[in-house]
Amino acid sequence: MQAIQSHFVGLREYLAPVLKESKFKEHGRITPEEFVAAGDFLVYKFPVWGWEKGDDSKVRDFLPREKQYLVTRGVPCLRRAQSLAYTDADEDAERLVSFGDGPSSGGDGDEWVETHAGRKATANPASDASALADIPDDDDDDISRGVGNMSLGGHGTGEQAVDTPDLDDIPDMEEDDLEEEDTATAVKPKQGGSGAGASGSNQPDPSRSNLLQVRTYDVMITYDKYYQTPRVWLIGYDENGKPLTPQQIFQDISADHAQKTVTIEPFIHSASLQAASVHPCKHSSVMKKVIERMNNSVVAEQLARDAKSGSVSPSAATAAKEKKKWFSRKASGSSKEAAAAAAAAENDEEPEGMRVDFYLVVFLKFIASIVPTIEVDSTTSF
Amino acid sequence: MPPLQFAPFSTLVSPAFWHKLTDLKIDVLKLSDDALPLTGSYTAGKGITDRETGAEVVLPTGFSVGGHSFELAEAQRVGVVTAVGSFKNFNTVEEFKALDKTRYFDEEAAKIWHSIHTTRSTTDLTRFFLITFADLKKYKYFYWFGFPAFVSKPNWEITEAGWQPISSVLDVGQLDTISTHLRAQPTTPAFFLIKKAGDAVSVGRVEDYEESLTKTPPQHLIAFTDPSSSPTHPGWPLRNLLAYLRALHPAASSRVRVVRWRDADYTETGKEQASGDPTPPKPGAVGWERNTQGKLGARVADLGPMMDPERLAAQAV
Repeated sequence: MQAIQSHFVGLREYLAPVLKESKFKEHGRITPEEFVAAGDFLVYKFPVWGWEKGDDSKVRDFLPREKQYLVTRGVPCLRRAQSLAYTDADEDAERLVSFGDGPSSGGDGDEWVETHAGRKATANPASDASALADIPDDDDDDISRGVGNMSLGGHGTGEQAVDTPDLDDIPDMEEDDLEEEDTATAVKPKQGGSGAGASGSNQPDPSRSNLLQVRTYDVMITYDKYYQTPRVWLIGYDENGKPLTPQQIFQDISADHAQKTVTIEPFIHSASLQAASVHPCKHSSVMKKVIERMNNSVVAEQLARDAKSGSVSPSAATAAKEKKKWFSRKASGSSKEAAAAAAAAENDEEPEGMRVDFYLVVFLKFIASIVPTIEVDSTTSF
Repeated sequence: MPPLQFAPFSTLVSPAFWHKLTDLKIDVLKLSDDALPLTGSYTAGKGITDRETGAEVVLPTGFSVGGHSFELAEAQRVGVVTAVGSFKNFNTVEEFKALDKTRYFDEEAAKIWHSIHTTRSTTDLTRFFLITFADLKKYKYFYWFGFPAFVSKPNWEITEAGWQPISSVLDVGQLDTISTHLRAQPTTPAFFLIKKAGDAVSVGRVEDYEESLTKTPPQHLIAFTDPSSSPTHPGWPLRNLLAYLRALHPAASSRVRVVRWRDADYTETGKEQASGDPTPPKPGAVGWERNTQGKLGARVADLGPMMDPERLAAQAV
């Protein structure tokens, strides 16, 4: 069934015309050229991102051969999304864009990421329980080792295999006499047990940090021709470098999105790879709202800059403050963006507003609300 | 002085790699179990601040292989160091188990030792190997990595002061110069030499170690791209680098100044000393990757949930 659906979606995307005209301010959609421009900007600003060419058989000709999709590897994910206690209001992605009325005590950080992804987990018993429920996955290893022999020889795809945690190792294949004890090898910190202990410098913390299970993710951004937006794909690994199962990946996705907008699908640039993907059907409308807000404030900023002559940024920031206070905090906190906007304004007398290069930077902040514990947003200082 | 301990690699095998291996096994390798070249990669170690507690969390010292690993010319990216190794796939789990692992490991280690003495190049210092058995019907992959590293006897020791911030040796401008130079390279070097002449710094090759030493004043620092984010333990590649220096420049390497090149913020430097005898002609080597229980043993990747059509269908409702 899903295969049919995938084929249908693939066909629909194939038939969809390539978007030629820039529409990103009107409805949040971008053209392949803009995707490449925004991607180039992202790669330039944040070198953890890079372009990939993907599988030769899956080349999409409206994108340059060497720039088929963006990828960043080894993105850390410190804890499960369930362990973040969200109120109903917070879970709503729409809250993300209403940064104007979010708690304003964020200081120089970036509020819309801080308020959601970095929310202090409240110590209510329910969320504790959900966090605790995670641990057995890790500690079941003894059990799984015990049953390892059985499941090795037997069933591969049965019901039971789904429920049993994957065995990590071949039980009868440990050869501890293979090499002698070596004092110059650092003892590998117990991953997952305690992240604090792993660093060696922090004493065990009675709080939640004891429950850190550091997973890592490979995050890919492709261009979806049908929805004309970027699309995010995730491949996860547990603390031992083992690929995560779909169920495990859903633990890192905020409850509202898991298994609804996030599904496991064939990755479009590979012949066989499956990855979790955030369905892009709502991307353009959310992006439109974010871009509208950002654009307004950027235009305000540019107008303010044009109005004043020679004075320094505080005046511009104050002017912008009346329009949108979130941006003024940004301007005073980190002036990078203001500087970039200013550079744009200098080139052009007409305020051009937000440039499309920023699209993916903004997009990542949006994605961060869907996967709150995966640190995809390396741009918080921005 | 405390002995210097190295953080071993922790491997990350992308599902794309197993897919590629599956294709390769069915279409190309078939029943062959000849060794193939393989590329892997690592990046400078990343630490991350936990947003809830503010604590610095140390991430594992990652070493990854992916879908492109069978192509030797893997796409190069800024900040990614590639290592070349060998890959061997066995047809049955019995053969996989029956392999004389001690001998196999020694042969691999000997290749590194041989290249140190013949080519005097540092490119083979990060050589690794991977042995696998692929159970294609069950989507299970048994694998075992090895990163041979030479044991130094006596151990390398670090000066009492431990690792120092880089600012005590190089200023911001000098770091900028180095970082600009490195970013301009097509590939990020695993090892390099920081030469200081007065206020000017330049980046050289470790192969020129002796030459830079004879210049006056002998202001050189040995640097390596450090995959470890641990504040105390440098990454595994340093181990063979030190063995290399000891083997080729016994007179000039009893005391080495090392820069662990990570983020500009995280760079540190330290001094190490190997006291006493020069290293024996062919030191022993260690470096089997331990499994998740910390024992010496192979690992299993179970890709069933991501590859088995039946199970994919089951969760897609």
